[in-house]
Amino acid sequence: MIGYLIRRFGQALIVLFFVTVITLALVHVFPGGPIRALLGPRATAQQVATENQQYGFDRPFYVQYAKWVWQILHGNLGFSLKLNQSVASLMTQDLPKTIVLVALGTIVSLVFGVPLGMYQAVKRYTVGDYVLTGVSFLGYATPTFFVALLLVEWFAVDTHFFPPFAPQGSSLGQILAQPRALVLPVIAYSFVLYALWSRYMRSSVMDNLVQDYVRTARAKGASERRVLWGHIFRNSLISIVTLLGLSLPTLVAGAIFIEVVFNYPGMGLAFYTAALNDDIQVLLGFTVLATVATILGNLLADVSYAMLDPRVRYS
Amino acid sequence: MAMITPPPGSSLPADVATPVDLAEPDGATHLTAVEAEELGLAPAVKPRSLLRRGWEVFAENKLALASLGVVLFIVLFCFVGPLFYHTDQVHTNLQQVLCPPSGSHLLGCDNVGYDQLGRLMVGGQTSLEVGVAAAIVAVLFGTVYGAVSGFIGGVADSFLMRVVDAGLSIPYITLIIILSVAFHPTKTVMIFVIAVFYWLGVSRLIRGETLTLRTREYVQAVKVIGGRSRRAVIRHILPNAIGTIIVQATFAVADSIIILASLGFLGLGVQAPATDWGSMLSGGLNYLQSSQSYWWLIYPAGIAIILTCIAVNFIGDALRDAFETRLQRR
Amino acid sequence: MAPLLEIEDLRTHIRLRSGVVHAVDGVTLHVDEGETLGIVGESGCGKTMTALSIMNLLPVGGHIVGGSIRLDGTTISDLDHEAMRRIRGNDIGMVFQDPLTSLNPTMTVGKQIAEAVLLHRPVTKEQAYDRAAEVLDLVGLPRPKERLGEYPHQFSGGMRQRVMIAMALACEPKLLIADEPTTALDVTIQKQILELIDDLRRRLRMSVILVTHDLGVIAGRADRVAVMYAGKIVETTGTGTLFVNPRHPYTEALFEALPEKAAETREKLYSIPGAPPDLVHPPVGCRFAPRCRYAADRCRAEEPPLAGDSFGHDFACFFPVGEEERTGARRSVVTDRLPEPSADGSAGGEVQLVTEHLVKDFPVTSGALLQRRIGAVSAVADVSFEIRRGETFGLVGESGCGKTTIGRLIVGLEKPTSGAIRFGDADLTRSRGREYRRQRRHIQYMFQDAYASLDPRMRAEAILQEPLVVQGVRSRSERQQRVAEMLDHVGLPPGAIERYPHEFSGGQRQRLGFARALMLSPDLIVADEPVSALDVSIQAQILNMMRNLQRELGLTYLFISHDLAVVRYVSTQIGVMYLGKLVEIGPADQVYLRPAHPYTKGLLDSAPVADPEAERAKVRAGVTGELPSAIHPPSGCRFRTRCPLAEEICAEVEPPMRAFPGSGHLAACHFPLQPVLADSPATAVQAP
Repeated sequence: MIGYLIRRFGQALIVLFFVTVITLALVHVFPGGPIRALLGPRATAQQVATENQQYGFDRPFYVQYAKWVWQILHGNLGFSLKLNQSVASLMTQDLPKTIVLVALGTIVSLVFGVPLGMYQAVKRYTVGDYVLTGVSFLGYATPTFFVALLLVEWFAVDTHFFPPFAPQGSSLGQILAQPRALVLPVIAYSFVLYALWSRYMRSSVMDNLVQDYVRTARAKGASERRVLWGHIFRNSLISIVTLLGLSLPTLVAGAIFIEVVFNYPGMGLAFYTAALNDDIQVLLGFTVLATVATILGNLLADVSYAMLDPRVRYS
Repeated sequence: MAMITPPPGSSLPADVATPVDLAEPDGATHLTAVEAEELGLAPAVKPRSLLRRGWEVFAENKLALASLGVVLFIVLFCFVGPLFYHTDQVHTNLQQVLCPPSGSHLLGCDNVGYDQLGRLMVGGQTSLEVGVAAAIVAVLFGTVYGAVSGFIGGVADSFLMRVVDAGLSIPYITLIIILSVAFHPTKTVMIFVIAVFYWLGVSRLIRGETLTLRTREYVQAVKVIGGRSRRAVIRHILPNAIGTIIVQATFAVADSIIILASLGFLGLGVQAPATDWGSMLSGGLNYLQSSQSYWWLIYPAGIAIILTCIAVNFIGDALRDAFETRLQRR
Repeated sequence: MAPLLEIEDLRTHIRLRSGVVHAVDGVTLHVDEGETLGIVGESGCGKTMTALSIMNLLPVGGHIVGGSIRLDGTTISDLDHEAMRRIRGNDIGMVFQDPLTSLNPTMTVGKQIAEAVLLHRPVTKEQAYDRAAEVLDLVGLPRPKERLGEYPHQFSGGMRQRVMIAMALACEPKLLIADEPTTALDVTIQKQILELIDDLRRRLRMSVILVTHDLGVIAGRADRVAVMYAGKIVETTGTGTLFVNPRHPYTEALFEALPEKAAETREKLYSIPGAPPDLVHPPVGCRFAPRCRYAADRCRAEEPPLAGDSFGHDFACFFPVGEEERTGARRSVVTDRLPEPSADGSAGGEVQLVTEHLVKDFPVTSGALLQRRIGAVSAVADVSFEIRRGETFGLVGESGCGKTTIGRLIVGLEKPTSGAIRFGDADLTRSRGREYRRQRRHIQYMFQDAYASLDPRMRAEAILQEPLVVQGVRSRSERQQRVAEMLDHVGLPPGAIERYPHEFSGGQRQRLGFARALMLSPDLIVADEPVSALDVSIQAQILNMMRNLQRELGLTYLFISHDLAVVRYVSTQIGVMYLGKLVEIGPADQVYLRPAHPYTKGLLDSAPVADPEAERAKVRAGVTGELPSAIHPPSGCRFRTRCPLAEEICAEVEPPMRAFPGSGHLAACHFPLQPVLADSPATAVQAP
């Protein structure tokens, strides 16, 4: 088991290496070259010189890579000229708010997705199952931003149950002080995730229901309830836990769109604003962060699976 | 469908979001067609080709047939529609900004005066073209990459897949947003932007499929009769993988449409006067917060996206069933 | 005394997509206290469904639609869910076929057994775990308390089955139902488990229902037997009586299809023509009539009732075996003998295939980017033997012995780590490229899983033509002609060429696979477990076909199987393998009647034979213990960890092959069971 962990960690490092190379290469892809991209078309000679000193764009690629990684390890993720603050400080300011949104949204999606998915499996092919399946299919076919648009239209514009904007404010405290305004963003965020979990639980539980070990449990005299919650639930849950770890790209994408529609002052909105303003440094810094998070998520997913599934733990 | 695929080397099961049908329990034996012939019993059922059999399974699925119809209708609507419903989609007309639906503008106008219905058609053309093209490019490239990697195996395979891993570790959305910012977005650029990262997921899937098929006995049998690897790949692995490939391509179309729409919504997709369904919706965002409801800016484009994607997903699901059941007794 | 379990006119239906299957159609039987009832039949006969019906554990779509089941006087077939739940695991325990999939992989063994106790007894968790340890001890698991916290995958196959049995017995049920409890296990482990069940039955004063397809298992363990066919019981009586005096034609035919019956005489086996009926639309009249030798019009019109004489021997037939009044031919005396090279191996053609010191190791690797080798599985360890033209060489052994690997090495699916394979003059291990591919014509292969070896997307015609295409036969008509010829040889109708593999039955797929192997007119065919997955009646068909074609086309066979009876029937020479080593080799009769190696003897003792007398007479101890790891095999003689005769020298020196009386009979053992030939050249290690 320890050996497995070490190997997985090593794998993650290799992937991290490749990823950072790709990300750096991305800068070179910009028309006009990396300097242009990072500093904008009106960069002064002084600025270019400083940039080259820090990042070495006038030197070979591997030098650039080394310098860039060096900068990152020192906490320098770039500087936003448009906002006149370092990317790192931007993140410190906005990231917590995004994390709150993501956490709430994920929890809500799990709270609904897991039990409903199980329900669908137990009551398969009934009306309830078909209705919920329809909802899931809608979840797959509807872009996140459109879900958000619809919710705002129905619950904020046409009716006035909830405010059309998300809570505003620069600090976390201010955000949390307006729970009513959080409702719509969180629901919108969780919708697509809900479809994912419920679909997966449904197929996983249905799969397990016809397995031999379930028959054995019944032969011992276990009630259907016990079979479902004592045996099947645990086995299906193991996979959900790991799925969670792998869903980071989806979580990131959801954050961006929800924040844009609801004007939520988090990292996603900042990313979008940077995109509109050609603020490449912010874009890159955020990408690096999101990537590291994804790799960590993958690693966590694997490790937790290895720990929860005895077949891997004791092999 | 947005599928979450774990990195290779991980202990997780390969592909996650596939809905499962209950396995049929073991019943008593049935006489096969050949046995019936042998015994001179029931009249021999004329053998149907696998293609025919697959189509029959597909046709059984009423939802899929309806979806086929829907897709057909949408395609006609978008490409043939403008021949009957003429609107100007190039020049803005500030005199009819935000006009509500009326006789002359069946679905109203948007914030720069374009007729919405006409825009729906033209936008649909873009969405569909980019969606299909991106899907084809991504699946083609991903299939070749994955198949080669899976078949060669060894260190080369490990290396190729690490590269794919790396690409997949970067959240998709950030990548394509960056690319959209870097390049002047035209239709072709959008196809490239979407496909250039979508193929990664496809390659992983196809590699897995290749690995599975490679160990199948009927592929090994080729070696026993003196055949070469080339024959095994072309005659046995590829035909049996085609099903997966086609199903993947179908889901890829739906995914691509959504990705393009998402980019368009953010204003990073094709630029005016060209449009797609997503870009049409970015107009709608700006007017959400006003007191008046501009529903015609929101519902038509959104429903078009949802309808198309659901229909394509149903078709993909039914195709998956059709390809699988070809191999079993029905 | 009233029987413990009474089943009366049970009817069970299963609703499938294609229709309703009448899986159990009027079954009446009973089990007395303390006895073992065997329910035997081929696949699809309804035996498993009957067993599942008792506890109402039917699969999705299954329902009991008629009849009644009484346990100890109380009717249990109409109980509601909760009441039935109280009986399951409590009054009745059940053991299933595959212990790997039948245990929850993420729950410790202790917890699963304790669960069985906690469900029915008002005890604390601690007490439940104590009981679990107690019951694990009862089933013969060493160090039970320590193993409570382990997971199923950490046990071997035999151990897992013991765990399953322990779980079923935790609440001391009155009845134990065992559905094919040993089918998934090796022969030597099989004996241990069957003995265990017998033992426990006596100790706990239980009744046992033993459901199986293996007549040998029935012969050895059942007190009474019920034979099932097509959802009905066709005959039931005491075991001894059944084997000596079968009354139903199906039972009689089953016995005649068993290879062990014809082992000594090497006669052609009786193979029951046709296939079991479609149970979605059950036929009118006797269900066996379409395949019965003695069927008359009355049989096809009327269904015979299950009745019998007063000795408790019931059968459902109008014209039972052993009575005068019968129409149709007298049972054909099967005397079709093959003029084979005699089974003492003296005759035989020239040497065709030689393996010399074959070694195959499979590396065990791990690593992130680069796979590092951390060990190797020694699958084949220095095996040498010869096969002569026209003979059948049977390679027999249990799982992991390397017999399949040898087959794959010979046909080129694996490359040997070292050693040589010679066919005629050519060294197959040395040739490359085109020359190598051309040489493949001489040796062809029958895969173990015929279905998996046929491309599901190709029609039979394309599958059969492929070998010819690959070897350069350009003319289409020539290929078609050859295909038609082969289909005829293997007994498939000409219309079969248009069919896809899934449209054939199991036996027919074997034939198709065999036809493909014949397409290139090979000299040698390596058949890997060609009949293991088939029912006895179909098995007989395939074996007969293989024999006939061998004679007609002058083929040589390498017949790989774990089934001793089948191997003895078909082989002229036999090689016995254990953990990668060839431990004994010689003429078939010699090896069977006078085995020299203790493992061979153990195998022969363990394998169940369809003869109650012989079974009872067998020495209690077959082979004890479990299979050691193939990555770190025992030093010296690999069998020493399980051998009753092992001494110190067995761990230090690997025993060489030594000769025994009877030409070509060799075995590798320091303390063989037969006297060594005086002029045998090996180092003379004297038995104490």
